[in-house]
Amino acid sequence: MNDVLVARCLVKDYRRGRAVDGVDLTVRRGERVALLGPNGAGKTTTLLMCLGVVTPDAGTIDIAGHRLPGGRSQAMSRVGFTAGYLPLPEQLRVREYLRMYAQLYALADPEAQATAGLERFGIAHLAGAKGTELSSGQKTLIGIVKSTMHEPDLLVLDEPTASLDPDVALRVRTGLERLCADHGTALLVTSHNMLEVERIAERVVFLSRGRVVADDSPARVASRFGRGDLEGVFLRLAEEVASEPDLAGEVTAGVRT
Amino acid sequence: MSAVQVGSWRAVGLRVGAISRRQWYVALRSPHRLFDLTVWPLVDAFLFGSLAVFFQQAAGGAAARTGAGYLLAGIVLWHVVYQAQISVATGVLEETWSRNLLSLLVTPVRELEFVAGVALFGLLKLAVGVGVVAAVAAGMYAFDITDLGLGLVPVVVILLAAGWAIALVVVGMVLRFGTGAEVLAWGILFAILPLSGVFYPLDALPAVVRPVASILPTTHAFAVARALVEGRPMPWGQLGVAALTTLGALAAGLAFVAWMLRVFRRRGYITRYM
Repeated sequence: MNDVLVARCLVKDYRRGRAVDGVDLTVRRGERVALLGPNGAGKTTTLLMCLGVVTPDAGTIDIAGHRLPGGRSQAMSRVGFTAGYLPLPEQLRVREYLRMYAQLYALADPEAQATAGLERFGIAHLAGAKGTELSSGQKTLIGIVKSTMHEPDLLVLDEPTASLDPDVALRVRTGLERLCADHGTALLVTSHNMLEVERIAERVVFLSRGRVVADDSPARVASRFGRGDLEGVFLRLAEEVASEPDLAGEVTAGVRT
Repeated sequence: MSAVQVGSWRAVGLRVGAISRRQWYVALRSPHRLFDLTVWPLVDAFLFGSLAVFFQQAAGGAAARTGAGYLLAGIVLWHVVYQAQISVATGVLEETWSRNLLSLLVTPVRELEFVAGVALFGLLKLAVGVGVVAAVAAGMYAFDITDLGLGLVPVVVILLAAGWAIALVVVGMVLRFGTGAEVLAWGILFAILPLSGVFYPLDALPAVVRPVASILPTTHAFAVARALVEGRPMPWGQLGVAALTTLGALAAGLAFVAWMLRVFRRRGYITRYM
């Protein structure tokens, strides 16, 4: 099976209005995809629906061949997730935290997988540290180790490099690229750092007002919007959405099918 | 990398064990959380033990001795409900306080496995908390709860299950109403305690609240316990009612929390904990 995530016609309404309006999203095995868009575009809701944490009002989601919500447990065994804004529980040491998640993923040798994960990102020396003793960058790295120990088919990272300095961000990128290459893991990442996205993603999906408004390689998306880079696209979308209520509908014509 | 089949019993055991181990670390490294296990049991044991002694000294006679037995047996057994309820409710709340809920929801762990893991470790907390009250009752007030005999076993099992049922309602309320409902983790027991006739027969309650009290499983379990304190034979009929109402409460608690979880997912309440 080539597609690890297939989301079709996702719709989500909240009391304040429609957050996601007919989003289609496919991520193929080994592919590195970025989900982008200005604040309020529907990225987080889309991500949470794809992770089975929020139930869509309409649409379907299949992960590694398991349809949500019925196949949630099976699907999540093939997914890794972390977010730059999520802390580590204070009461746990890093090795205890990783061991706990290794057990949740039913790994046969939790201790060995935790150690291997720490070594992959060059942070084996943090094994004995508590959550309170780590910098925000180190916490992010531990979160990434946690989400990759079981060599998932799909790795979902929400703002992973927001708190990382360039050196650590480079280590994260290298580690992720190796993971994708070695194990065929697909990557779905959200970020507001467009430079970072251009470096890591082969394909970008831009959301605006709950709809997909572009879905292509970073260079093609930039060119389609008449901008030199993704930051230019992002700024244009943010400005135009603010001034043109129906922009999302107009630019959907550019969506890759 | 090798992993156990997700749906296998071994994988279920690993996941339940992981949640229990997590609770162990929380208890070990959060001294203030040990209040529920040591301080409150001690406070309650001294408070109700001393009340029992005072009534015995003031009134004297067989009735006073029985009343003292009601108080001491009542407080020991009440801590079964208290510890069962508080360990499950705060075990779930812990994941919201530490903002670990989203990470847990994006793993293969199933809701029942999570609750089972928390409840499993809760049994250890229950043993400690109830053990403290029972030890003080025995050591300071010469009341040995085990003197009530084997009839105590089904009463404890029923109270344990009733505590879990109450915890499920609290967890459901927290899922639906967020952190504002956390107060129920402790507060709900203040409503259940007087209605359950923990220290007195149902007749002692005002007539207007008796119908409410009579549908609580705890009311019937404590009535059985009082029969044992008085040295009467096991009231099997009342024990059966206690068991049936407890099963009903557990089923209702599970249905309620499942409903609230659906609402939680439908309305996207996870964003409260991100």
